[in-house]
Amino acid sequence: MLLLQLLINGIQVGALYGLTAVGFSLIFGSTKIFHFAHGSAFAIAAYVFYYLYSVTAAHWLVAALAAAVAAVLFGILLDRLVYAPIQRHEGSFFTVFVASFGVGIVVQNVLGMVFGRSFVAVSTPLSRSVEIFSGVFVSPLAGIAILCVALFFGGLQLFLMRTHIGMALRALSENTELVRVFGLRPRQLSTYAFALGSLLVVPAAILTAAGSGINPAIGHHVMLISLAATIVGGVGSLRGAACAGLLLGLAENLALWVFEPQWSEAVTFIVLFLFILFRPSGFFGRAVTS
Amino acid sequence: MLAYVLNLATLICINAILAITLNFIMGYAGIFSIAHAIFFGVGAYTAAFLAVSAGASIFVTVPVAMAVAGVLSLALALPALRVRGEYFVAASLGLQVIGVTIFSEWKSVTGGIGGVIGIPPIEVMGHALADPIEFLAVALLCLIAIIAVIHVLVGSSFGRNLKAIRDSESASLAFGKNVAVIKTLSVVLSASLAAVAGALYAYYLSFINVERFMRDTSVLIMAMVIIGGTGTLLGPIVGAALLMLLPGVLRYLPFLPQTEIGSIQQIAYGLAMVLLMIYRPGGIVGATGGEKK
Amino acid sequence: MVFFKHSFLAALLGVALSFGTAAQAQEVRIGAVFPMSGPNASYGDIFGSGANLAAEHVNADKMLSGKLSIQYEDSQALPQQGVIGMNKLVNVEKVPYVLSAFTGVSKAISTVAQRTKTVAVNGGGVGPDMAELGPYFWNVIPLANFEVRAMIPYLVKERGLKRVVLVYVDDPLGQAIRKELESALPATGGQLVEALSVPNTAQQFSGIAARVRDAKPDAVYIASYGSQQLQIIKQFRDNGVTQQLASYSAFSVPEINAFPEAKGALYTTQNVDWTSKDPVTKRFVDDYKAKHNKLPSAYIANYYNAVRLFALLAKDLQKKGKPITGENLLAQRIETKTFDLVGGKTSFEANGTVIAPIQVNEVDGKGGKAVTVAHAK
Repeated sequence: MLLLQLLINGIQVGALYGLTAVGFSLIFGSTKIFHFAHGSAFAIAAYVFYYLYSVTAAHWLVAALAAAVAAVLFGILLDRLVYAPIQRHEGSFFTVFVASFGVGIVVQNVLGMVFGRSFVAVSTPLSRSVEIFSGVFVSPLAGIAILCVALFFGGLQLFLMRTHIGMALRALSENTELVRVFGLRPRQLSTYAFALGSLLVVPAAILTAAGSGINPAIGHHVMLISLAATIVGGVGSLRGAACAGLLLGLAENLALWVFEPQWSEAVTFIVLFLFILFRPSGFFGRAVTS
Repeated sequence: MLAYVLNLATLICINAILAITLNFIMGYAGIFSIAHAIFFGVGAYTAAFLAVSAGASIFVTVPVAMAVAGVLSLALALPALRVRGEYFVAASLGLQVIGVTIFSEWKSVTGGIGGVIGIPPIEVMGHALADPIEFLAVALLCLIAIIAVIHVLVGSSFGRNLKAIRDSESASLAFGKNVAVIKTLSVVLSASLAAVAGALYAYYLSFINVERFMRDTSVLIMAMVIIGGTGTLLGPIVGAALLMLLPGVLRYLPFLPQTEIGSIQQIAYGLAMVLLMIYRPGGIVGATGGEKK
Repeated sequence: MVFFKHSFLAALLGVALSFGTAAQAQEVRIGAVFPMSGPNASYGDIFGSGANLAAEHVNADKMLSGKLSIQYEDSQALPQQGVIGMNKLVNVEKVPYVLSAFTGVSKAISTVAQRTKTVAVNGGGVGPDMAELGPYFWNVIPLANFEVRAMIPYLVKERGLKRVVLVYVDDPLGQAIRKELESALPATGGQLVEALSVPNTAQQFSGIAARVRDAKPDAVYIASYGSQQLQIIKQFRDNGVTQQLASYSAFSVPEINAFPEAKGALYTTQNVDWTSKDPVTKRFVDDYKAKHNKLPSAYIANYYNAVRLFALLAKDLQKKGKPITGENLLAQRIETKTFDLVGGKTSFEANGTVIAPIQVNEVDGKGGKAVTVAHAK
């Protein structure tokens, strides 16, 4: 029964990881920008929701919308004010990465100053688990999480397949130059990518705030997982990022069946490390030339 | 006042060594490692373990610490050989996390989360260096020696090969350069010299624990290199000095809330990183954008 | 004219000299390495308020020939900064006695203390490794192993909870608690069913909750600290761990008290009877209340005691005509059997720790309710 419980926990956690990872993969795949501040978008969305829902007692829909607006705005502003000027000058991987990293540090500390470094959680009865059968506990939040992930992912697929912008984004991730030839502007498209990618963190952020709680350092943790999932799943493949996110969530929890809890975080990174050494293209990604 | 200045100077020396060695692989070889604190830690733990169990002679513990770090750095060199850019960053982040877990768990050597206390002072030919002035002298000597080594290497054909690989790996391969060996050597060198800083740190504080070797420290060292200026000799030293002096300066500004000093410090160098990348990617000392010397 | 100038100068010199020696005779200085800035600065204020009150009382009573003053250095609760502060106190201010706070800082400065024969006193950290920092490191707070020894008989005998699962952070404090549980539980008829260690950076505990449930305990002992313990409590309660929770003094913080999921949890703290008629305690409580408009806490009492301890030792040394050095203070402490401190008569073990009564409290959302007091054996 323990194994089954760990499996269910893994799926719940992995689903959220997958969604966040897809957001990162979308941005990275289409714009080639190493958006390390993706974790910051997550943290901002989570804290906005927490503040509005728990502190000022707004309606959850209002809080969720505000969180979404905050995350999307953050992504777009970052793209316009930080990444765009850098790409105009020089745009090497290094400068963009460092700038993004710097933003991550600033956001984490500002959140710490405003909300305190301790952990906070959105108090809701939905996080309470119910014993569905002997020894196996599941909370309503888990169900909501999986539902949200399915909805958002489905919505994303529709968007990418059916709308013009979606198709342009897919084209951008495959061949930037060709996109220009066809008269589209990569700069404008990248703003869409950031908006969409940042939107995708919002459900995971809200559900994490209600489930396990948040603290300012959560952005870092989320970022690492998204990065690991993107690479393991294969850069450029959204399906890969989602699957890899799920896999990492499962690995983290199933590891508890065998190992001491100390090692569960390390397990995720050992998996990542091995993939980078032996199969950097991940599950579904394009081949990587060194 | 003198004691305070001596302390600060010694810590600047130690951090400058870390910044210079990271700059060697980041600025000159284009290998972006966020795992530098791990080699700092390996050096510190090795030196501490030897001093506590065997003897604290500088001529024994420091070379052994360097050797251990050098060998372990092969774990970082491997991904460096296979991938670059974002993949390598991810691998080094992974190594950082794995390293911290090992530091926390290998209790017999590292003391686990509790750390190692009571590290005896370092001995130079039987004379124990407990006086802060003497210690600063030794730290300065190490710093100067490492600067000299790096300077010579950068100017040599090895250094030129390194820059060639950074700028275009395929071209270097085409020219018949043994890319794998050069990259590996540079990582090993960077890690073993960083271990010197670790040994100095362990003897200076007489107490080390895993908190000093976590991701925040790797990020701090990276910030020193970037803000000071990558790919230059003076840059990392300037960066180290600036970032070490920052907390002291901040404490004197009366309008800043005292409880938030740590956060404000981090915001300061986070902002510095962002602004510098937009306007002056070469850092304070480095060449302004575009060129990499 | 000249004679006048000479005598004027002589008088000036005489006054200056007497000023100098008088100044020396007028000041007895000790040090304190506390967090005065950074996220733990509020603790520095709290501990300092106790220390300062003690210095005031010492000076008002003219206990020492010379005014007692405390030189504070900022550690930011970081070991590295703590060492810098300690070095300054020892090398520049040349104090014989230093108050210390936070386990990491204490461990870092203990080596300097040993080497320079300066006494360092801890009144806040409870990790049993604090007893192993050398003869010059003293603890005026009872360490966590005593806390466990008080909790276990209560849990097993009074509450009838025999099967215990331990969830702990794998640091010296957690390891020591585990060892204590392993010996104390069987002795009282209980059983340590499982011990699960968690990394101190962990934030996800649903998996661990599953393992706890699987072990079918009667009670769960949590050995963590800071915000992590809140996350553990919340996620355990969310994930079907309904058993009685127990912990050590880390649960005595206001955040736990205000946390609805923590209601009913048991925890141990140092026992200080604030209503005691004992003159030292009464004066401390009354004056503190008058000054700060609230009751003091155990930490404040500890740092008050640390300063008072120094004054008692220094007074004896001054009476014997001995200089106040770390060495002499240590010898004097070993010689003295008991000290009249806040909380009653206190004596030191050979390893520089104190045995003190421990009380068991219950989280009730209103500041904690004491349920029993265990006196030291």
